[in-house]
Amino acid sequence: MASDDGVRAMSRDGSAGRSDGLAGWLRGWGPAVSMASRNLRRNRVRTVLAVLGVCIGVLAVAALGIFGNVLALGADDAIGDIGTQVVVSPNNDAGVESLSDADVASIRRAVDGPAVVPLYSDSATVARQGDQTFATVYGVEEPALAYEAAEGRLPERHRQGAILGAGIAEDLSAGAGDTVEIAGSQVRVIAVLVESQTFSPVAPDDAVFLPESAFSADGYAQALVVSDSGAEARAAADAIREAVNAREERVDLFELAALVDEINEFFDLLSTFLLGLGAISLVVAGVSILNVMLMSTVERRQEIGVMRAVGVTRRDVLRVLLAEAGLIGAAGAAAGTLLTVLLVAGLVIATPAVDAALVIDRTNAYYLLLALVFGVGVGIVSGAYPAWKAANERPVEALRS
Amino acid sequence: MSDRDVPDGPTASGYAVELRDVVKRYPGGGDEPVVALDSVDFAVRPGEFVAVVGPSGSGKSTLLNVLGLLDDPTSGQRLLDGTDVTSLSVGERTQARKESIGFVFQDFHLLPTLTAVENVALPTAFDPGDASDRAAELLARFGLGERLDHEPTELSGGQKQRVAIARSLINEPAVLLADEPTGNLDTETGESILGEFERVKSEGVAVIAVTHDPLVEEYADRVVDLTDGVLTGGIPEDDADDSPGPTPDADDDARRSGRVRRGGRQTATTDAGGER
Repeated sequence: MASDDGVRAMSRDGSAGRSDGLAGWLRGWGPAVSMASRNLRRNRVRTVLAVLGVCIGVLAVAALGIFGNVLALGADDAIGDIGTQVVVSPNNDAGVESLSDADVASIRRAVDGPAVVPLYSDSATVARQGDQTFATVYGVEEPALAYEAAEGRLPERHRQGAILGAGIAEDLSAGAGDTVEIAGSQVRVIAVLVESQTFSPVAPDDAVFLPESAFSADGYAQALVVSDSGAEARAAADAIREAVNAREERVDLFELAALVDEINEFFDLLSTFLLGLGAISLVVAGVSILNVMLMSTVERRQEIGVMRAVGVTRRDVLRVLLAEAGLIGAAGAAAGTLLTVLLVAGLVIATPAVDAALVIDRTNAYYLLLALVFGVGVGIVSGAYPAWKAANERPVEALRS
Repeated sequence: MSDRDVPDGPTASGYAVELRDVVKRYPGGGDEPVVALDSVDFAVRPGEFVAVVGPSGSGKSTLLNVLGLLDDPTSGQRLLDGTDVTSLSVGERTQARKESIGFVFQDFHLLPTLTAVENVALPTAFDPGDASDRAAELLARFGLGERLDHEPTELSGGQKQRVAIARSLINEPAVLLADEPTGNLDTETGESILGEFERVKSEGVAVIAVTHDPLVEEYADRVVDLTDGVLTGGIPEDDADDSPGPTPDADDDARRSGRVRRGGRQTATTDAGGER
């Protein structure tokens, strides 16, 4: 206590000590970084090699991360909305031949949110100018809820005309405004659907959609439940099972959300695996920084001792050395990030199969950022031990050598 | 808490630095600890130039380390500017070194990456405010005004030592500690460096130089001998009278007379202060 007071009393300008808070803490980094960068320039080859190590590590993390992500995005794109549709069919095993209006109403009540599109179903020959094909014909009142038009416009209420699936339209070379013959009667085509990405029992590509009034059946063959997401589809399926199948198994449900989940899980695993591979090289880079910093602090032992002797605090010595390691990490990370961008860009240009839209996806920037942060972090973490060791050496020992 | 009363006494006696009954033991090869300093009493007034001589391994470096707050005594008391600084924490010691002590080393120990002016400002490099103006001023005073931005490799030995002296003065220290300051310099350069020490002490700084160099002894106001950890002549002999330390003029006289009586001094190095 007494000596403590004494030292403070000795201080020429009392406040210049260590109690200068955040501003002082920040200000100390200026000279530290300046000294650090000069120290790094002393042994350029060694510094460049350490930077190269981090650069490769960051490149590995970022590139493998992005590759994994592009794979996952591509798969997602290919699977499409496979997981967002639930197809409800009557359970023939229980003697239910079709879905009644009451069934559809209770499905609507149960799902609360996703659109429910009931369908009549039949099959018929479809012909135009000599071409002829056999197709499933669906009766649907609100086609716009489940499908999109590539040509023409989908009416809110389907009252007249036919909507062709993409496959059939191609087979018959028919477009909106043309007339086709369905089961013997001429019907005007009002729209052609976009090609379906969906794998579903209700395959629209080879189907023709007519107004409900064209059918005389006494019940719906199927009902589509169209959700925005896989999770919503799963919830809807569960709700239908609970509500509609409460007393007897009236309906069968077909859903692929669970399968999609599994596929997504696989790609998550793949991404993690690739990132892990990259992380190994980053760890190796960290060890090389550790090595460089240990060597350089041993070489500069006396210098550090002198700094301590003339009154530079342990904290400031630590800062200089951490700044050195951090600069190596930052330089390597920046170079690695830049290289990754170039590499990925080159790959996209060289490989037409890779969809550029997938590569410039926002989520890839996240991998770049992650790698950048990792690079700087690896630098600081591996620099911490040598820096701490050097800063805490007693100046007497350091000067003696 | 008797420590609290201590500062008044020595402050009155006006010593820049003082050791009282200081013992420093190192754990030895196994059986017995090595006694590097054995009951050392040592005091230096502001503006006094003291040379510490003695054979190698007699504890001179230990004395300098203890005086310079680089090492703590095993027992005894250490005062700096009249304040008890016997047992400080690492941080407090660093702070006290920065505020009150300047070091000059045999190997100069300049940081090779820093320019002359940056080396001089090194002790305050991490503090608020820019000390480079003062550093440049100091360098100009030591005749290096043209070489502010030179790196150590571009300077001669004498120039490097001048930079080192300027660095030791950047904090306006009470005590300047020099470890063989002329050890790596030729005689002529050594003399000019000792001339700089004279100027430093004339500003009221207590200068303590550990040395083997007879030249340093010539310039010193007082030569103390350290042999096997025992210090002879550590306290000024005119301690009793109240004169506040030697005046610069008196120093000059002392040096001249010391130079003249060099031969006699060598035979009686423990005759410290008697020449005055």
